[in-house]
Amino acid sequence: MNHSVDWVQLIIVTLIFGAVTVMGFMAARWRSSGTLDNLDEWGLGGRGFGTFITWFLLGGDLYTAYTFIAVPAAMYATGAISGFFAVPYTIVVYPIIFIFMSRLWSVSHRNGYVTPADFVGGRYGSKALSLAVALTGILATMPYIALQLVGMQAVFETMGLGGDNLLAKDLPLLIAFAVLAAYTYSSGLRAPAMIAFVKDGLIYLVIAVAIFYLPDVLGGWGSIFDAAEAKLTATNPNTGRPVGAFVPGESGYSAYWTLALGSAMALFMYPHSVTAVLSTKNRNIVRRNAAILPAYSLLLGLLALLGFMAIKANVDVRGLDGIPNPQLAIPRLFDQEFPSWFAGIAFAAIAVGALVPAAIMSIAAANLFTRNIYRDFIKRDATPAQEAKVSKIASLLVKLGALAFVLTLDKTLALNFQLLGGIWILQTFPAIVVGLYTRWFHRWALLAGWATAMLFGTLEAYNVINPATGKHFGGSLANIPFTDTQAYIALTAFALNVIVVVVLTLVFRALKLPEGVDSTHASDYRADQGDPGVKDLPELLDEGGPSPAKS
Amino acid sequence: MSRLSAVKPAYWISGVLLAIAVVVPLLVSTYAKDEPRLWGFPFFYWYQLLWVFLSAILVSICYKLVITEERKRRAAEGLGDPDKAGPAKEGDQ
Repeated sequence: MNHSVDWVQLIIVTLIFGAVTVMGFMAARWRSSGTLDNLDEWGLGGRGFGTFITWFLLGGDLYTAYTFIAVPAAMYATGAISGFFAVPYTIVVYPIIFIFMSRLWSVSHRNGYVTPADFVGGRYGSKALSLAVALTGILATMPYIALQLVGMQAVFETMGLGGDNLLAKDLPLLIAFAVLAAYTYSSGLRAPAMIAFVKDGLIYLVIAVAIFYLPDVLGGWGSIFDAAEAKLTATNPNTGRPVGAFVPGESGYSAYWTLALGSAMALFMYPHSVTAVLSTKNRNIVRRNAAILPAYSLLLGLLALLGFMAIKANVDVRGLDGIPNPQLAIPRLFDQEFPSWFAGIAFAAIAVGALVPAAIMSIAAANLFTRNIYRDFIKRDATPAQEAKVSKIASLLVKLGALAFVLTLDKTLALNFQLLGGIWILQTFPAIVVGLYTRWFHRWALLAGWATAMLFGTLEAYNVINPATGKHFGGSLANIPFTDTQAYIALTAFALNVIVVVVLTLVFRALKLPEGVDSTHASDYRADQGDPGVKDLPELLDEGGPSPAKS
Repeated sequence: MSRLSAVKPAYWISGVLLAIAVVVPLLVSTYAKDEPRLWGFPFFYWYQLLWVFLSAILVSICYKLVITEERKRRAAEGLGDPDKAGPAKEGDQ
C-alpha cells in the first residue's frame, strides 16, 4: 500500500485547479467590466446561452463524479444492474426532456419564473405546493452533492492525502469540502459555465486515452469482459449469491429498467437542471440539445466499462484505512496504469468535473431557498443585498447537509447517493410536468400525493440494509409491495404518488374545494424569445444569487 | 375526438418516434444476452451503446419535424423566428 503523497500528481492537480479557478474569476470580472458584451455567446443582459454553451452546461449536469467515479465503481463492484443502467438512463432522458422542457422554458420566460417551485406556485396558486417543491429540491440536491464530495475524496485519497489514523482518515473529504465551499462562495452560473469547457476538454482527453490505450495494455476488450464475467458470476461467500450481474438475469430486468427510467424522469426535476434549461436563449435550444447530447451517453457507457478494466487490471481498492472502497477503482486504475503526470491530469479532470457540478447544484439549491422559502415565507420585503447574503449562507448550509450525508450514510456505493436523491426529487414530477399540460390535478391532491410518496420512499429506502455494513439506506432497490418484483423505489413511490393524486383530485373536485388561481395563460406555454411579454431572466446568470426581476 | 384529429402529423409522428426512443431501450428482455459479441463486447453492452446513436437519430428527426411545424405556426401568427433574432449568431451545428 502506497502511503506516501505522489508529488507529481499533487502538483499537476494543484496547477490545473488553480488555472481553472482563475478562469472562473476572470469570467465573472469580464462581465462586471462590461466587455463581455462582445461575447454574444455569453449572452449579457441575461439573454441566455446558445446551443453550444448549453451543450456543455447540460452535459455538465450529467457528467459529474457520477459518471467518472460512481458508475464505474458500481460496475466494478456489482456489475450491470447497479451500474450499466446508467446507459439506458442517459438514452431515454433526452426524448423525455424533448417532450416537455420547451414548455417549461416558455412559461417561465413569460412569467419570470426562475425555479421549478416558482412555476408550481404560479400554476396552482398554492404557496404550500411551491414550498413542498422547493424543500424537495434542496433535500434531493444534498446527496447528489455528497456524491461529488465522495468523488473528489477518492481522487485525493489516491494521491496519498490522508492516512489511517482517526484524524487523517477524513482529511481527503474535508479538503474536498473546503475546496467546494471556497469555490462557490462568490459565483453565479456564468463562471461554472465557462469552466465547463475546460472541464469537458480535460475529460474528453482522459477518456480518449483511457479507452484506446487501456484495452490494448490489458489484453483487449474480449479479455476485459471475460475477467468481469468471472468476477461477477462467482459466488459471494458471505451471501451465497453471485457477486453481481454480468448480463442481468430475468429477475434483474425490472430493477434494471426501473432504475433507468426513474433516474431519467428525475434528472430534469433537479433545481440545477432546471436552471441550466432556463438559462438558454430560446425555447428550442433545449430540443436541439436533446438531439446532440446523447454523445455524452456514449462516453458515459465507455467510462462505465472502465470499471471492468479495473477488474481486469486487478487494482487494489483498499483505502488508506485498509477497508475496500470501490470508489477508488478508477483513480487507482489510472494511478497503476499511467505515468504519474498523466494520472495527475486525469485526477484534475475528475476533481474539476466533480467541483463544477457541485457548485452549480449548491447555487441552484440556495436560490431555491432564497426565492421560494426566504422571500415567500420569512421576509417578503427583502432587499437584493439581503437576498444575496441569504443565498450565500443557504449555499453553505446545503453543502454542510451534503457533508452530513457523506458522514452518516453508507457509502459503499456512492451511486446510492444519487439514487436516494432521485427517490425524493421524482415526487415533484406530477406537479411540475403534468402541470405543464393540464391543471386537472387538484393542488391539495398533489400535495397529499407528494407527502405520501416522500414518506413511503424514505421509509422504503431506510429499510434497505446493506448486508456488509449493516447500515440503513444501503440501496435504492426494493420489492414492489405485495410482489417479488424488485424495482427502483423512486418509481414505486411515484406510482403511489400518481394514484393518490388522481383519487384525491376526483374527491376534491366532487367536494368543489377551491382550486386556486392559475397565474399562467395557455399561450404562455408556446411563447418564444422575442414574443410579447417574454422576459429575460438575468438573475439566473449573475453573481450573488437571485435578485428581484428588474422591469 | 375532433381535437385529436386536429393534431398535426409532425406532432404525432414525433410522439411515436419519441415513444420508441423511450420504450425500446428499456425492454431489457430483448437484449439481456452475451452472444453475439462484437469486438469482444457482449451483445448486452454493444446493443445499448448502439441505441445512443439510434436515439440521437430519432430525436434529430423529431427536432426537424417539430421545428418546421413551429416555424409555420409562428409565421401564420406573425411572430418572428427567434433563431434569427438579434445579433447573436452562434457557430452551432
